[in-house]
Amino acid sequence: MRLPRLLRTTPFRLTLLFLALFAAAASAFLGYIYVATAGEVNRRAQAEISREFESLEAAYRQGGVDALNQTIVERATGERPFLYFLADKTGKRISGSIEESPISGFTGDGPEWASFKVTETDLDGAEVKAAARGVQQRLENGEILFVGADVDASEAYVRKIVRALWGAGALVILLGMAGGVLISRNVSRSMQGLVDVVNAVRGGDLHARARVRGTRDEYDELAEGLNDMLDRIERLMGGLRHAGDAIAHDLRSPLTRLRARMEVALIDAENGKGDPVAALETALQDADGVLKTFNAVLAIARLQAAGSAPDQRQFDASELAGDMAELYELSCEDKGLDFKAEITPALTIKGNREFLAQALANILDNAIKYTPEGGAIMLRARRTSSGELEFSVTDTGPGVPEADRARVVQRFVRLENSRSEPGAGLGLSLVSAVAASHGGRLELSEGPGEYNGSGPGLRVALVLPRVE
Amino acid sequence: MRILIIEDDLEAAGAMAHGLKEAGYDVAHAPDGEAGLAEAQKGGYDVLVVDRMMPKMDGVTVVETLRREGDQTPVLFLSALGEVNDRVVGLKAGADDYLVKPYAFPELMARVEALSRRRETGAVATTLKVGELEMNLINRTVHRQGKEIDLQPREFQLLEFMMRHAGQSVTRTMLLEKVWEYHFDPQTNVIDVHISRLRSKIDKGFDRAMLQTVRGAGYRLDP
Repeated sequence: MRLPRLLRTTPFRLTLLFLALFAAAASAFLGYIYVATAGEVNRRAQAEISREFESLEAAYRQGGVDALNQTIVERATGERPFLYFLADKTGKRISGSIEESPISGFTGDGPEWASFKVTETDLDGAEVKAAARGVQQRLENGEILFVGADVDASEAYVRKIVRALWGAGALVILLGMAGGVLISRNVSRSMQGLVDVVNAVRGGDLHARARVRGTRDEYDELAEGLNDMLDRIERLMGGLRHAGDAIAHDLRSPLTRLRARMEVALIDAENGKGDPVAALETALQDADGVLKTFNAVLAIARLQAAGSAPDQRQFDASELAGDMAELYELSCEDKGLDFKAEITPALTIKGNREFLAQALANILDNAIKYTPEGGAIMLRARRTSSGELEFSVTDTGPGVPEADRARVVQRFVRLENSRSEPGAGLGLSLVSAVAASHGGRLELSEGPGEYNGSGPGLRVALVLPRVE
Repeated sequence: MRILIIEDDLEAAGAMAHGLKEAGYDVAHAPDGEAGLAEAQKGGYDVLVVDRMMPKMDGVTVVETLRREGDQTPVLFLSALGEVNDRVVGLKAGADDYLVKPYAFPELMARVEALSRRRETGAVATTLKVGELEMNLINRTVHRQGKEIDLQPREFQLLEFMMRHAGQSVTRTMLLEKVWEYHFDPQTNVIDVHISRLRSKIDKGFDRAMLQTVRGAGYRLDP
């Protein structure tokens, strides 16, 4: 059997539990009130009866049963609100305001208390039964004395109190119940918003977002957390999808080329023309190229999707720059380029050493590739005045027109005059992804201007945030 | 030389085994981590080639288990993922070298060869000698036919590595990894320039070239 939805919700269950605790506390409290009020009323009535009994007993001790008899007769006709009954040893009535004791079959010595009813005539002459209470005790010489009192007024008072307490109890439960339902409705409604979002996402709608009500409570916090999480998932998914698209798009043409070449080589081989070994070697080279492109695209996509580079640790950036200078210096000399490095010593940085090395290598590769013979390349590593760490490579090649600078950083973008050079157009995109994954940026600006018949040159800077 | 290939991709394992057999190695193959671990535990292998992702037991666990048991057989770790972290994980588990799939076969060969001979060159030496070439590791001098050759620090390191792996092919990636200690993919052949500079120093003026270019693979220092 399924309970109605509201009854199944956690807040409602919690409300019930809370209500039970609350009711228990209220019962204890009301119980205390009962004891403190109704109990007190009864005790007071009882104390008055006892006092009356004691004063009669005093008369008895002074003047014996006769004196007591007389006192009873006097008091029974007086204005006192008590009921009296005096009997001898055998229980036979001697005097009193009532005909017989409400406590019959009395054999012991007492005192014995009892509640009973007396029939009275009210102002209109009608007979009414009123609640009364009394005590009976055997006196020194064996006579039995009963003293009672009409406690109807105080009993009625107690009944009123009890009724009030019941009412209060019912009210407590009703109010608690209503409050509980209200609260659980409210909570359920807040939760329902989140549940709806989760269901929507599960159904494939990654754009669904929870409503933040601005109340700054834990539901808002949860909703914000959920939204942040979804934003990130969506970004990652987007990155992956983008990478997938890019890989599909950019591997298609080299793979098609590879296939075509192999097909031609096969036809040639079948006809006894061409060199199958050479064809296979070319094919291998093509395949390596495809793999290189694939790896680069994948690395970029992963860096972009991850948001921050993996495995970051502190290391000496000056050493890294020095190693790169040393690694590339000979390549520059080989091409007849003047190479210079200006590296501030002991620059520390927190980052992924391999990715940063790859980034610097890509920048240097580009500089060497595009700077004509007789040009110059300068590698610089320094801390800027704002505390950022800047690696820069300045060359004296043709540079990149200002309008194209943002574009060359994108994947697979190659400017017209660079198409003749080998490369897939991924170098600077990877640098940019590496920079971003370290919280830094890639800056392209104009080089030193005319130099040895070429220029204006390009300055590529990889700027990383300061480490605390 | 006995090589154990632990690799679940049967075609890749087959191609690898074929190539290694052609090169004169005795090759065994295990198709998953558990079988591979059991086979490796029997002992008698000179190099283990272990794939990272495998059914039943992954490569990291295989290597970790072997190392825990005190087995120091050189391990070449293969991974299709190729993230920097993967390399760190593989080396931390106890692998000796790491190669990213897909790899060029000469690269694999060169690394297996380097690992298989590693034990023989493990002793601490103060001098290295390859044919006419002599290297003093204490005062960092190099002589060929008794004639001193002046080398820059990096050139010295490069030659030391080549001498320690004399007669073996070493690839450009291996040189970048072991001599420069960087693991990235240079787009241009920066390493070639360094090798040709070194070659001009140790071979120029002598009747025979010791530093050979191995087509499709890299370089080799012949005695």
